[in-house]
Amino acid sequence: MYYLLEFFRKYHYLLLFVVLEVVSFVLLCRFNSYQGSVTLSAANSTAAAIGGLYDDAKAYFQLGEINADLTQRNLQLQIQNEQLRERLRQLGADSSYTTRGVAQALESYSLIPASVVSNSVTMRRGGYLVIDKGAADGVRPEMGVVGGGGVVGIVYLVGNHHALIIPLTNSKSNVSCRVRGKDYFGYLSWQGGNLLHATLQDIPRYAGIKPGGVVETSGYSSVFPPGIFVGRIKAVNNSADGQSYALDIHLGTDFARIRDVAVVATPYKAEIDSLYHHAQEAEAQMSRH
Amino acid sequence: MLQTIFSRIGWGAALLLLQVLVFNHIHLGGYATPMPYVYLLMILPGSTPRWLYIVTGFAFGLTLDIFTSTPGLTASALCLCGLFVPLLLSLFSPAETDGEAPEPSARAMKWGPFSRYALFVILLHCSAFFVVEAFTFSLWPDLLLQIASSSVLTLVFVLCFEGLRSSR
Repeated sequence: MYYLLEFFRKYHYLLLFVVLEVVSFVLLCRFNSYQGSVTLSAANSTAAAIGGLYDDAKAYFQLGEINADLTQRNLQLQIQNEQLRERLRQLGADSSYTTRGVAQALESYSLIPASVVSNSVTMRRGGYLVIDKGAADGVRPEMGVVGGGGVVGIVYLVGNHHALIIPLTNSKSNVSCRVRGKDYFGYLSWQGGNLLHATLQDIPRYAGIKPGGVVETSGYSSVFPPGIFVGRIKAVNNSADGQSYALDIHLGTDFARIRDVAVVATPYKAEIDSLYHHAQEAEAQMSRH
Repeated sequence: MLQTIFSRIGWGAALLLLQVLVFNHIHLGGYATPMPYVYLLMILPGSTPRWLYIVTGFAFGLTLDIFTSTPGLTASALCLCGLFVPLLLSLFSPAETDGEAPEPSARAMKWGPFSRYALFVILLHCSAFFVVEAFTFSLWPDLLLQIASSSVLTLVFVLCFEGLRSSR
């Protein structure tokens, strides 16, 4: 305090100078319109700049909250996007129609739902599928297996709780199929390569086949009931001998990501098999005689 | 002492009248305006307290402002001059004053130092005056021209007054 008073005592003229300058500038801005307006506009600009800085700072400190909101919104949109993508995929593949058609075709058959637990299907050599249902669940060899996209394959070997499936994309697979609307049938086989493409052999040239037609099971084997979706005709080609068509088929089942399937327990299979068995026995007896 | 006070009051009145009636109407080239009233601060005795320099500058400036309807303009410029004139006076006064207060005159200081003293005081005053009048640096070339031309013209008048004062 003493030093402050001493300072003012020694440099009191400086204080006087400041006071008189302030008085001068007050008079200047108060009674001179030009300087007054310049001061006013400068004060407004300064206030606006400070206000802008304050708003910027406020916005900056709100960024955390905005970020949390955006993260939550982003998550919601991701979920919604995934749902829409799934819906679009289903609509694009027309699998809802396929699933409905398969369900209708299998109405009178008993189905054993199963999940694929092992998938060794590869583009190079086909492969097998293993499902989590076996003999204990009623699964028998040579039963058909279907999925949401249509025919999957045929049961090959059965354990108590698991079964090995030969999928359509296996070179050993040979399923009797027909073109919907036509009664001509042929055999579906897979030559390797693309898991979505197979070939339907032995379709007569006069059958009037066009690309885009639906290929379904014929029902001539006792494995699958008739009318189960297999795929669509992608291209119509001549067979090697030129006597028939070999149709390129775009399969309805994507074997690379198949998961839920059902084993078709055909009610008449035992009866048909016993008839075949009797016929074979009769042929054998006749040949012995 | 009393004579000095009356002499300065006389000079103040004369400078005020001359400024209001004559010098304020001179605008050479639209730029140069003589403002020799600052001469009053320059010739205050060296023993004058610093606060009195400041108060004299403010009061004299405000009186001039009243006549020119620019309250605060000249007052602020002369107030600033009042702060620095004692410093400039001691800077340009001869060193051998034997502890006495410096005498601000061409006779005591010689014409050279007095001219430089006058030039700095006038430059300071003109700069302050025109900057406060313009209140912006956006037209700085015009501002510099006004300061330079007015300072030169003012210096001429101030030296004339000093010549008149020294001859008596």
